[in-house]
Amino acid sequence: MAVKAEAAPVRARRSGSAGIGRWIWKYRALYLMSLPGIVFFLVFKYIPLAGSVIAFQNYNIFSGIAGSEWVGLEHFRTMFAHYDFLRILNNTLLIGLYDVVFAFPAPIVLALLLNEVRKVVYKRLLQTVVYMPHFLSWVIVSGIAIGIFSPSTGAVNHLLGWFGIEPIYFLGEESYIRSILIGSGIWRDSGYGTIIYLAAIAGINPELYEAAEVDGANRWRQTLAITLPALLPTITILFLLHIGRFLDFGFERVLVFLNPLNVAKGEILDTYIYQQGLLQQQYSYTTAMGLFKSVIGLVLVLIGNFLSKKTTGSGLY
Amino acid sequence: MKKWALAGLSGLLAAGALAGCGKGEEPQVQADGGKKQETTKFSISMRTLAFNHVEKSPNINEDKWVKRLEEKTNVDLDIVLVPHKEYEQKMIQMFATGDIPDVVQSSGGVNGKEMAGSVQAGVFQPLDELLQKYGQNLLKKIPKDAWDNVSYKGKIYAIPEWLSNPSRRATYIRADLLEKTGLPVPKTVDEYLNVLRAFKKLGVENPYMGRENFKYADTFFGAYDVFPYLSMFEQAGDLVQPKFMDSENMQKALQTYKTMYDEGLIHKEFATINATKFKDTILSGKAGMWSMNANEMLQWQEQLRASVPDGRIEIIASPTGPDGKGGHYLYGSVTRGYFINKSVKNPEGIIKFFDWMVSDEAEQFFTFGVEGETYTMEGGKLAYKQPKTPQEVDEERYRQAFLWMVQDTTYNKGTLELTEEGKKLMSVYDTILANEGRDGITFEPRLETLTKNPDISPISDQAPPILLTHMVKMVYGKEPISDWPKAIEEWKAKGGADVIKEATDKFKNKDGVTMSRRK
Repeated sequence: MAVKAEAAPVRARRSGSAGIGRWIWKYRALYLMSLPGIVFFLVFKYIPLAGSVIAFQNYNIFSGIAGSEWVGLEHFRTMFAHYDFLRILNNTLLIGLYDVVFAFPAPIVLALLLNEVRKVVYKRLLQTVVYMPHFLSWVIVSGIAIGIFSPSTGAVNHLLGWFGIEPIYFLGEESYIRSILIGSGIWRDSGYGTIIYLAAIAGINPELYEAAEVDGANRWRQTLAITLPALLPTITILFLLHIGRFLDFGFERVLVFLNPLNVAKGEILDTYIYQQGLLQQQYSYTTAMGLFKSVIGLVLVLIGNFLSKKTTGSGLY
Repeated sequence: MKKWALAGLSGLLAAGALAGCGKGEEPQVQADGGKKQETTKFSISMRTLAFNHVEKSPNINEDKWVKRLEEKTNVDLDIVLVPHKEYEQKMIQMFATGDIPDVVQSSGGVNGKEMAGSVQAGVFQPLDELLQKYGQNLLKKIPKDAWDNVSYKGKIYAIPEWLSNPSRRATYIRADLLEKTGLPVPKTVDEYLNVLRAFKKLGVENPYMGRENFKYADTFFGAYDVFPYLSMFEQAGDLVQPKFMDSENMQKALQTYKTMYDEGLIHKEFATINATKFKDTILSGKAGMWSMNANEMLQWQEQLRASVPDGRIEIIASPTGPDGKGGHYLYGSVTRGYFINKSVKNPEGIIKFFDWMVSDEAEQFFTFGVEGETYTMEGGKLAYKQPKTPQEVDEERYRQAFLWMVQDTTYNKGTLELTEEGKKLMSVYDTILANEGRDGITFEPRLETLTKNPDISPISDQAPPILLTHMVKMVYGKEPISDWPKAIEEWKAKGGADVIKEATDKFKNKDGVTMSRRK
């Protein structure tokens, strides 16, 4: 090891590339360890990226990428000219926005609440209970939701009945679909989302709380002045990651709730891509849509990161 | 009449074949020629059809029935299963990766979506000459309709499994409940509605069982002959257009559903009732009338009895509309097709294998299984062991409907003839279903304007998405039914006008046109 380290600088003087080689050699253990990760990203993320080229072709699975006809921006033109494009984009943006406003803060609030539970046994029990829905598939979640929101047999309408309210066909009214989509997301995933926040809270120096107590701060004051600021970097990072997936609400969780009565306000780009691309084999057209979605996502991340760096000084990169 | 004669004849033949072959378990060589030398080896992709016995099998190629089939036909099969649920996607994946088996099973003709245009792309070989040489039985037994469905540019590309009676969906009624109402078997839409109202009075929760997207709940669209489905084009003046553009009848059909909705004759939440809930509700005795495939009849009857001991199911003639006719949409004449890969060098053995499938020996083997295990001979008569446990039922179904690759899939004559219920069902097929059903002008391949624009395109048994929304909303009273012409205008504006133009042009040029099978 030592001999090699001495020999390296001699070679390094000859050229710049040799300098990098020496650098890599010096930290070879680290590079070796990162290799699987690099290969993973190359094989599963970067190489498939090249497949996006079919967005500019009339892709045919028998001709392949090399043999398919090149049509340039035609699919993008079709997309922007489509009579339903604005409606679907609008749905996607609104649902994405509601998701950020309502679903993103939910785990933070839940984590703060869990943190205030005194009895450890009770806290553990609560944690387990709130994690659980995360492991249910969306098909099951939608089945449950359709059941409890049913006008004839559902618990919700039964409850409303006590207050003299007529049963409402929640899944048959387009005005409720977005709330149901966001609500079911919160119910399923906010518990699981608390894990990172609880870990961050556990890492806060207890001396801070002790000092605050000495100064006469109550729990509420401590939460505002210590816990939340300490959580802020975590929240920022998670928020930026969330923004990057702004338009990726996910197709499955929406698809299982849609029916002809609510599709007008519930259909999003993901479900549209699924129906047109996978079911109707319009591969090029839907790849163009997916590409459009990714570009918007990238722009949002760039803007978010820039703003975050300006205001808080920390960002994703 | 003819069918009865045929049934009798084939029964005789089966008995003859049985006497001829003695013990069924011994490895048998093809009767013709007696060539024992070479085993034909090939791989074949098959859809699991959601059959329990197939999907739960640890390795289908080791299954005893596959082994027996291989012995009988002197082939070595390598079955590649394709999951029933993701069938289309998996098939496309298979084509995209180029890992294509020697024989590919389709779920219909040349232009099925699962084939993804592979026939046109030249993945498979034409079979005309081979069939002339090695498939004479196939050519004799399979009707022309079915061959047309698997042909492309005048050449046959697959061996079809066919459906001689394409009227497959039927109107079911709870005969015990009908008796209680004291009403006669309904015929017209109005009589049907009266029966449904009487069911309601009896306290039946779902007089007519509804389901999301009107799937298996479209009986009354059939009465007015306005199915908004892919196979439903008709001539209207100079144009060839979809039947749902018949505004007058479509509005009547929608009004029928709205009446049912308003009076509680169909579930208020039918827009969110899925297939599982549909079946559960009916089998727990909470529905009075519904639509289902006729071949399910005996099983449903059996399962209903578990919860309602005196529940009786019957298939009755579907409601008739203004033209005095009715029925559900007709299925395609091909249920499964077998395409042979271009790269297969010796397809003769494969053709012979399929040719054997239509032989009497095959009918005997797949219907009754093997002697000593699934049937015994008692005094020269065959005594079939009726399957009892769910596993046995699954196994029978697998043998008769999955492994028997080429047959008339209308019904299994052999087993139905054994019971009274079965005989009754066969007569239902031949007297009721054969005389009803709706069909229209169809285009093969699918109209290009429809493939390009899925939003306005109907599928085999579902309305185009943009129309479906209006239909459901009209039944729920969220839009007036009198707005149907507006829905048609919307459909036209979003690309429907091009569809009508393409359909009319192709019709005039006789380009891929199949006429309606019902007058």
